[in-house]
Amino acid sequence: MKKCFALTLMLLAAAACADELTVGTKAPAFTLVNSVDGKTYAFKPADGKISVVFFTCNQCPYAKAFEPRLIEIAQKYQARGVRFYAIDPNDENRYSEETMENMRARATSKGYPYPYLKDGDSSVARAYGARVTPHVYVIDGNGLLRYRGYVDDSARPEERTRTGLTDALDALIANREVPMTATHAFGCSIKFKS
Amino acid sequence: MRLFAPFAAIFLSASAAGAAQLIEVREPTALAAAFAPAASVRVMNVWATWCVPCVEEMADLGAIGATFGARVSVVGVSLDDMIPGDRAVSKNKVVAFLDRQRIAFPNIYYVGNSDALADFLRFDGAIPITIAYDRGGHELWRKQGKLDRQKTIATIRKLLGRTR
Repeated sequence: MKKCFALTLMLLAAAACADELTVGTKAPAFTLVNSVDGKTYAFKPADGKISVVFFTCNQCPYAKAFEPRLIEIAQKYQARGVRFYAIDPNDENRYSEETMENMRARATSKGYPYPYLKDGDSSVARAYGARVTPHVYVIDGNGLLRYRGYVDDSARPEERTRTGLTDALDALIANREVPMTATHAFGCSIKFKS
Repeated sequence: MRLFAPFAAIFLSASAAGAAQLIEVREPTALAAAFAPAASVRVMNVWATWCVPCVEEMADLGAIGATFGARVSVVGVSLDDMIPGDRAVSKNKVVAFLDRQRIAFPNIYYVGNSDALADFLRFDGAIPITIAYDRGGHELWRKQGKLDRQKTIATIRKLLGRTR
């Protein structure tokens, strides 16, 4: 019976990534304030540059687990012309860790090589269909979404078998097709502002 | 095929520190082995101690399981191993949490690949998620996000009626 149950589950298995921004569609523009310096950053897709937009936050252990990896990736790929935007969409009224002040403190202490933007009404996260932190989106120079999902398939370096984000960036930089365009983004659910 | 040889990957690892039953599983096909064979409805909840809504709903899951007795088998699937660190420490943390919550149903400590789990359970990675199956493994119902205790009990009651 147990084996039968497992087999039935397998037959039902298929990837399911509903309600997220569809790969190949135009990425939403946004204008958000950087918690680090108070300056406004306007992301305008289709300006010829590859961009990484990722949703993260201060409180999620899984987002924190990927923090060093994202810093490492950003430092490597910024040198190759890729732009990175970290966005915190969590409701700071319900979760005090997510205030601009605490965001600035984290970005400064960790030495973020990218702006750490506050999505104050969670509207940008909604526009992208982001569900969790971390949730990563790669946009090509024409403003089209080319990858969405996880950074890697494991936060444990020794168990990492798929590197979704860097594979996508390497492909776009080399003008090749992105090998995996959508992956399962695990993480903490976004605490949307209602 | 790797997914067809699951059961050797199960290691019972009830911690000496507590009473909670925690079963280490690497292959998603082995998850179903934790269900009670006699149960008409099997409920799988994917959670982690680092997931706020998961933690908040754990007491509700315990109550839901207790409501139906042997007719419903509840199994938790902890994703705590996804956070890098010492596995033994992480498992002890899960057991301690389950003990504090007085959780009687078995829990799986999943150490396999996250993609494989998401593909197998057909979910997109966001937790908590709760899925109900019949005895044959056919999916009956699923809830993405935090459970409502009374609504879930009402839903399972209906499912039991359908599976008699």
